Amino acid sequence: MTTPASGSQTISETGSSLMAPLFALWGPAYHSQFSQVTLSTASSSSGVGISSAAAGTTDIGASDAYLSPADMAKYTTLENIPLAVAALMVVYNLPSVPASTNLKLNGTVLAKIYSGKITKWNDPAITALNPGVTLPSASIVLVHRADSSGSTFLFTSYMNAQDPTDWSSSLIGTTVAWPKQPGEIGATGSGGIVSSVKTTPDSISYVGVSYLSKVTAAKEGEAAVGNASGSFVLPNTATIDAALSAFTSTPANEAISLINGSGAQAYPIINYEYAIVNTSQSSTTLAQDLQAFLYWAVTSGTTQLASVNFQPLPASVVTLSEAQIAKISG
Amino acid sequence: MTASAPVVRPEGGAGQDPLPRRAVAALRAGIRNGQALRWTGAVGAVIPALALAFVLVVLVIKGWPAFRIDGWSFFSSKAWSQGNQYALKPEIKNGYELPPGAAYGALPLIVGTLATSLIALIIAVPVSVGTALAIVERLPRRLAYAVGLFLEVLAGMPSVIIGLFGAVTLGPIVAHDIAPYVARNVPDVPVLSYFAGKTGSGYGLLTSGLVLSLMVIPIIAATTRDLVRQVPILPREGALALGMSDAQTARRVTLPWVGAGIVGSVVLGLGRALGETIAVAMVCGASFGSFPSNLYDTMITAAAAIVLTLEAALTDATGYALSVLAEIGLVLMVITLLTNIGARLLVRRVSSTALPVGAGI
Amino acid sequence: MAAHRQTAGSLGQIPSVPIRRRVGNALFWGACFLALLLVVGPTLWLIITTIGKALPHFHWTAVSSDTVGAGTAGGLLNAILGTLVLTVGVLIVSGTISILTGLYLSEFSRGRSRPLLRGAYEVLAGIPSIVLGYVGYVVLVVQFHWGYGLLPAVLVLSVITIPYIAKATESSLAQVPSSYREGAEALGISQGWALRKIVIKSAIPGIITGMLVALAIAVGETAPLLFTAGWSTTNPSFALTHSPLGFLTYAVWEFSPSNSPINSANQLSYDAGLILLVFVLLLILIGRLIAARSRRYAE
Repeated sequence: MTTPASGSQTISETGSSLMAPLFALWGPAYHSQFSQVTLSTASSSSGVGISSAAAGTTDIGASDAYLSPADMAKYTTLENIPLAVAALMVVYNLPSVPASTNLKLNGTVLAKIYSGKITKWNDPAITALNPGVTLPSASIVLVHRADSSGSTFLFTSYMNAQDPTDWSSSLIGTTVAWPKQPGEIGATGSGGIVSSVKTTPDSISYVGVSYLSKVTAAKEGEAAVGNASGSFVLPNTATIDAALSAFTSTPANEAISLINGSGAQAYPIINYEYAIVNTSQSSTTLAQDLQAFLYWAVTSGTTQLASVNFQPLPASVVTLSEAQIAKISG
Repeated sequence: MTASAPVVRPEGGAGQDPLPRRAVAALRAGIRNGQALRWTGAVGAVIPALALAFVLVVLVIKGWPAFRIDGWSFFSSKAWSQGNQYALKPEIKNGYELPPGAAYGALPLIVGTLATSLIALIIAVPVSVGTALAIVERLPRRLAYAVGLFLEVLAGMPSVIIGLFGAVTLGPIVAHDIAPYVARNVPDVPVLSYFAGKTGSGYGLLTSGLVLSLMVIPIIAATTRDLVRQVPILPREGALALGMSDAQTARRVTLPWVGAGIVGSVVLGLGRALGETIAVAMVCGASFGSFPSNLYDTMITAAAAIVLTLEAALTDATGYALSVLAEIGLVLMVITLLTNIGARLLVRRVSSTALPVGAGI
Repeated sequence: MAAHRQTAGSLGQIPSVPIRRRVGNALFWGACFLALLLVVGPTLWLIITTIGKALPHFHWTAVSSDTVGAGTAGGLLNAILGTLVLTVGVLIVSGTISILTGLYLSEFSRGRSRPLLRGAYEVLAGIPSIVLGYVGYVVLVVQFHWGYGLLPAVLVLSVITIPYIAKATESSLAQVPSSYREGAEALGISQGWALRKIVIKSAIPGIITGMLVALAIAVGETAPLLFTAGWSTTNPSFALTHSPLGFLTYAVWEFSPSNSPINSANQLSYDAGLILLVFVLLLILIGRLIAARSRRYAE
């Protein structure tokens, strides 16, 4: 069904803070078109999105990370439906580096930084990538997500993809055992990352592209991230689309990692933004309204994507998403 | 006098009122002579006991799998890893499933909880007792009333607002002013090494302790003030007659008189600090799996750990994460219960000796 | 107690107080005053920042419209109404149970049951609210499939507040002079009537004070509500289950500058703090009024 039922309905959504700005735009936009449906959105974390969808405490769980095999085996009626394509930025607070400079960092350097092998900004590994940039001798202050975060999943997948020796696959997940460094900060939510980096000089962290305007306003630097081909790129339409073209076979359950795609201009940390939904809903009206909203999101909802720096799904993936949406019933 | 008691017919059978009317009459009699109140009261009074039992049973049942997996080493380990959530098969230990590589330890949580509460008490106890003495012995009545109002406002302040104050106002001051100053000027003695070192970002042990002290101070100060007010006049005047100054009177007569009560209120404040969740979660820096290296380093407490990880715990399909949180909750509950029981025994003991006959605290 | 200071030579032969004692005295009371400043100062600072961050940019939309998105726009009406609905629910459920508990323990229970039942609710008071939130979430919300809603939230908040109202009820009933009860019995008034119309009536100010304390606690709780009420940007429906509701402390926590970079959300966080502060002040004021009124009518 592509139009909502006529009775008034509230659809609750919670989850990924990366995706929250998009839902904050979608809610009013959808409501202005179909006034009987109100979207109640909240920003927490991808892990909360998955858990809440599994527990039935929310209708749509937003997540940057797809469901794990264990979750899919336990919660058989859950499906992860991509709605858009997002990317993850690496940000830092270095007042001495001009805003127009984008520090070049790659997975190997980041893995060494986060595992404590590189402790100072002017370490030879970093200066080698950035000739001509004067880096301070200050210690790097690590900031990461303390809550169960899809951004963590993407960042750790990237570090492992480029440097499995320094960042093993056991350290990939929405919650990981970060090797402890002095002064290391665990922030809550993407917003917490932005404010922690802003108030902590010499810090480094990772946050989604939907927070680019906040990052810029907070005078934080954005890194040019090294991809599989060795080029250093910023996330934008061209680089994200280039990365997308490297992944041509998304499976039917649409659980796929888009990390470290090959391509000279491909941005290495991109992902599908998932809506985790239960295919068996409590009522037919709720099922119909959910389907209608999700169809709208992957078709008309693409209008709002540009304001959060997301990209629309490729047409083939839209078809797969619509096939999953069709399975929702009440 | 109105004859309102039901008429009881001695014989059964045809002469009796129908059942509904007899029931209503019995109910009315019950209400009149207090039996109805007694029975509804009894039902109500059992409910807290049932709730308590329910909570304990749920925690034990939910925490059992984690206890079987980790055993007692849970309390001495400092791991904190949800393991490989994307593995294809879970590990099995002692008959329970867990994600491969998952490991949790309660030691940093316990240390963090005790350390923040200790800092809070070190700050709060002298400040509260001094405040109480100043209120009772020195301030004029109106000012004492006003200060009492301040204490009440502080006591009633939602902890999340104090946490907001800590994160937005106190934290930056600790990071930019207090910590650098202390770290620079502390003598290079091994004992004081916790005051030196990296001064951090304002999120950490010191800020958490400060925030907790704001919550503990009203408890200790108000109780101490009430206790000191009730110290009889004779011992104090006797001390003055013996030539003691009023400072000496306060130190040697008044305070010891209510000493057990003060200790009781301190333990109550400790209970509050141990269980405080949201304010600490906002300022602790959420550093799982390690101990703070100095006073300004980030850390985590048991309550903050639960609030930050509970909602996402179901991503662990094996249920291990949820079970660990139950274990942590049980530990927290046992610690706070012991401190509360200790407090009540002490306060009760002193209130019977120090107060005039009749009125209770 | 006024300070007894000796003026040297005022009675001729009285020796003057040695400097050491005077200095010691002054130091001691100086320290106490410093302690007083260390309490009053930060409290004032806290109140002033809470008001000061909210008031300059306060718009009436904050109390008249619902939140939009994650605080990107809108106000706090959904949170205010949610908090109100929760407090009413808590007063009804917890109030009933606690008053009955206090009544039973004070008037009816004898022997072994009294310390046991009283011990039960005192132990309940010592349980950290996050642990109760955990139990509420794991059992009521997830296992019973109630989802976020009014019922799990009110139940958990009630368990948290029962000890306070029960204790207040029990102690204010105990403070009703036994002469009231004896006089009623002497007049031939049945025990039920005496309890309802005489004893409980005299204890009402104390009971209400206990309820005010419970209200302040219920309004200020965050952690257990996060896991039982959830959050909603729509106004509360009165559905008991599967209907998350907003509450003010969520806004203070989630929209605070350390969790959200959106300026309008931060403003909502400060506004929520201000509203909560006003509410607490109101409760304290009502408590003082009741205490003053009952003191006037006592004896």
